[in-house]
Amino acid sequence: MALSQTVYNLLFRRTSTFAITIMVGAVLFERVFDQAGNAVFEQLNRGKLWKHIKHNYESKDE
Amino acid sequence: MISFGARAGAFSPYLQATNFAVAGPLKPLIPAFAVKSENVLLDLKKPFLCRESLSGQCPTRGPTVSLGLSAPGSIRFAHTDIKVPDFYDYRRPDVLDPKKSSRDSDESRKAFSYLFTGATAVMGVYAAKTVVTQFVSSMSASADVLALSKIEIKLDDIPEGKNMTFKWRGKPLFVRHRTAKEIEAEAAVNLAELRDPQHDKDRVMNPKWVIVIGVCTHLGCVPIANAGDYGGYYCPCHGSHYDASGRIRKGPAPLNLEVPYYEFADDGIVIVG
Repeated sequence: MALSQTVYNLLFRRTSTFAITIMVGAVLFERVFDQAGNAVFEQLNRGKLWKHIKHNYESKDE
Repeated sequence: MISFGARAGAFSPYLQATNFAVAGPLKPLIPAFAVKSENVLLDLKKPFLCRESLSGQCPTRGPTVSLGLSAPGSIRFAHTDIKVPDFYDYRRPDVLDPKKSSRDSDESRKAFSYLFTGATAVMGVYAAKTVVTQFVSSMSASADVLALSKIEIKLDDIPEGKNMTFKWRGKPLFVRHRTAKEIEAEAAVNLAELRDPQHDKDRVMNPKWVIVIGVCTHLGCVPIANAGDYGGYYCPCHGSHYDASGRIRKGPAPLNLEVPYYEFADDGIVIVG
């Protein structure tokens, strides 16, 4: 209860801080969402992507 | 007029404009209606102050008719079968108790509401940003087009005093290795006698190398290198003479040969594009 009141008074009460909260939240959300999506994609395609099978085709001398 | 009619005596009925009142088509605005009721409860002590206090003078039983200029005529019945809607299912748990003050839970309820609003806005901003980014990046050139749009030229292959032609973005590209004599001659040209005044040092990065697009500025023919009166380029179509810096000197062409963007790489290679 006290936490929600603090959050309300600090972030949501003024429109200016609310807008800043939304912008900063969008940046963080984008990063988390994109990385989670990529992780899910690679998990579903494990062993099929080039970076998973790259070592099979690389010559040893390089 | 009226006084004249009154003084006319016996002739007054003939002199008046209207003699008889005729009933118009309009009905009376408020029809008379008697309220019939056995026991009329009158609170005689209540003062006649306003519409509300007047309604207290009406009988409280049975149908009553209320008529007035400000309200449409209607018949009111005493309803006992109307259920008062119960909104308790939609209330927040903090305000279920009607005896508790809702002000105490004010900020936490607002925080909850704004949290959802903010979360929706965050996802909206993210979606809008993604859509705009995709749209803008779809307008830029793709990687294969970008790879084709550059050309690397080995300058060591071009001997001094010679001109080589390359194909770049579907157009001929002239790369000329100038001699010291040509460099001197072009740098000494008086700008006042040029049609498109441009100094030689503005057209070259390294004075030894002149890189121009080989399209005549007149009608788009490809000039011939090392020909013409000025020892540079000569357009065979309509006889435009360019000098060794690619500047128009004689003939119908209005402008100098175009200089593309290029940069010198480390080991004698120039990258055009």
